Amino acid sequence: MIEISGVRVVYGPGAPPALDDVTLQIAAGECVALVGPSGSGKTTLLRSLNGTVAIAGGSIHVDNVEVAQLRGRALRRLRTRLAMIAQQHDLVDRLTVVQNVMAGALGRWSTPHALRFLIAPTAAELAEARAALTAVGIPEKLRSRTNELSGGQRQRVAIARALVQHPTAILADEPIASLDPELGEQIVRLLCDLARERNLALLCSLHQVEFARRYFDRVVALVGGRVA
Amino acid sequence: MIDAFTNLLRLVGSFFPPDLSAAYLRALLVPIAQTIGMAAAGMLIAFVLGVPLAVAIATRAPGHRLIVAALSALRAIPDLTLAILAVVVVGLGPAAGIVALALFYSAMVGRVYGDLFAAADAAPLEALRATGASRIAIAAYGLIPLTLPDLLTFGTYAFECAMRASIIVGAVGGGGIGTELAGTLSTLDFHRALTLVIVLVALVAGVDAFGILARRNPRLVLLLLPVGLISLWLYRPQIFAFAHAVHTFATMFPPHLRASQIASLPLLIAQTLAIAVGGTLLGALLAFPASLVAARRIVPFAVAVAVRRVFDVARAIPELVFGLILIVTVGIGPLAGALALGLHSAGVLGKLYAESLENVPAAPIDALAATGARRLPIVAFGFLPLALGPLVVHTLFRLEWNVRAATVVGLIGAGGIGQALYQAQQLFFYQQMLAYVLVTWGLVALSDWFGERLRLRLGWNFVAA
Repeated sequence: MIEISGVRVVYGPGAPPALDDVTLQIAAGECVALVGPSGSGKTTLLRSLNGTVAIAGGSIHVDNVEVAQLRGRALRRLRTRLAMIAQQHDLVDRLTVVQNVMAGALGRWSTPHALRFLIAPTAAELAEARAALTAVGIPEKLRSRTNELSGGQRQRVAIARALVQHPTAILADEPIASLDPELGEQIVRLLCDLARERNLALLCSLHQVEFARRYFDRVVALVGGRVA
Repeated sequence: MIDAFTNLLRLVGSFFPPDLSAAYLRALLVPIAQTIGMAAAGMLIAFVLGVPLAVAIATRAPGHRLIVAALSALRAIPDLTLAILAVVVVGLGPAAGIVALALFYSAMVGRVYGDLFAAADAAPLEALRATGASRIAIAAYGLIPLTLPDLLTFGTYAFECAMRASIIVGAVGGGGIGTELAGTLSTLDFHRALTLVIVLVALVAGVDAFGILARRNPRLVLLLLPVGLISLWLYRPQIFAFAHAVHTFATMFPPHLRASQIASLPLLIAQTLAIAVGGTLLGALLAFPASLVAARRIVPFAVAVAVRRVFDVARAIPELVFGLILIVTVGIGPLAGALALGLHSAGVLGKLYAESLENVPAAPIDALAATGARRLPIVAFGFLPLALGPLVVHTLFRLEWNVRAATVVGLIGAGGIGQALYQAQQLFFYQQMLAYVLVTWGLVALSDWFGERLRLRLGWNFVAA
């Protein structure tokens, strides 16, 4: 599924490596938590998986394809299979909830299809959005404006968008950092349940070690860019 | 259609090549110096008058409300309308230009600096006041140092505007490049007209570069002092003309229009508004697609920079200069006026739109890119909805500005209230002229007021840039 071996990332000449000899495998349906202090390389690792950060050494394979060799269309196709979830600031406020959810389909839609959807969504597209929102527990928010949502609801919309991508893996970068603990626990549980139910690999960075132990199959600690 | 297009091409072609002969370039040195001199002298007076007024406003000196009202009223008179008044009163030549620029920019500096001072950090000012310091001391030790970066940014921007304005006041007899340009176009000397447009673009680019340097090294602003003083001395109004000026001014009162002229006012106002709306619409339609390929976060850096240079050129050419050129190509009338406003607005809006698109938050865009989306869908789902507010506000601001500009291009035959005003001046009907000035003033003040209300309702308001 995801195979990371001996990965090294350096930001600029002379800088200490942000990742150093990181090796990790994640199977389909497996939930892996990534813990470690700020600056330990969690975000860098997640971003190197979808090719946003270039690696200086080692290799990353997703579904047996080497990420570093992908460019243009092939790289875009890889990204459609790796759904990213960040902290709660990555939705487009002026769009509706449906539009934000269906943005997950942009990777497989042609440009005319994407533009047509903004003007005239079909019943099938709306049904897909409703199904995704039902899976994350807020089907009633389908027609809402995104800026009317609470922090927890925003994260649920981001997860629904990830599901619409039909991904093989979900990469979540501190998805509960700006939520209160109770809400955060709900979101973590939802992510793990969905990953197991749909046989997705889940790699999720967290600050809360107790949630990591309670809900994930495996906990990986990064310190100074190395697996501790 | 094809005929019209070939005609247009032939007309554009008739401007090439520009006259770059050494003799002509040498002859241009005086008008160039006049233009720079007018701008420097006008701004010098504007700072000398405007800064104390701003301090009076910010420190709530007695009568500060009256000062604010007077400055707002003065700002609602377009600079070229002021220039016509100044030409009538002071006589043809750079002195008239300097008077017009000084009045217009004193009001602008006073108002904007007043707002900047009022927004300064209150605690240090309170401490100064507690020492019993005078207003001048509070300004020197508190207000000015606290807001210096903003003062410089706006000051250099105002100087840039004054340079463009000093070109256009020339077109009504204020001297400098503007007068030269109006002359070459009326004698159909297009090669020299193109030379002048190139000089103009270079001058504005020069002021732009000076502004960037001055923000880094504020002492450069002191250069304004010798240049301004020298041109004030060279272009001082003659003493013997002063009594004549007062007399001419008196003949404007009371403002008066004949019944038939009053009856045609609605049509003139409608024409002016049509020029403004049409120009804004054209500008927005040109600027919007172009701004997408001028935003560095959407297209490669080199493409964005190249498109921005085109915006810079369109921005450097004032509406009136576009108007002068279009009058000889498409003929007189409101169409030329709207096209002139549209071309200049496209440059301004293109730059502002591109900046708004570049300023959208990164996280939602990154999230869209991470889904593997193509570029255009990312624009449609991310950049556009995120930048919608600023795009609308910039367009509304431009519309407000274009109401002003529409009265200005009227002067060169584009119709509307501006044309009526200029004709009255040319025929020495000064009472009529003053009446049209008052109508212009009312129209601009009303559109400013309406625009401000609309922007407040949309929840967006900031100083025009």
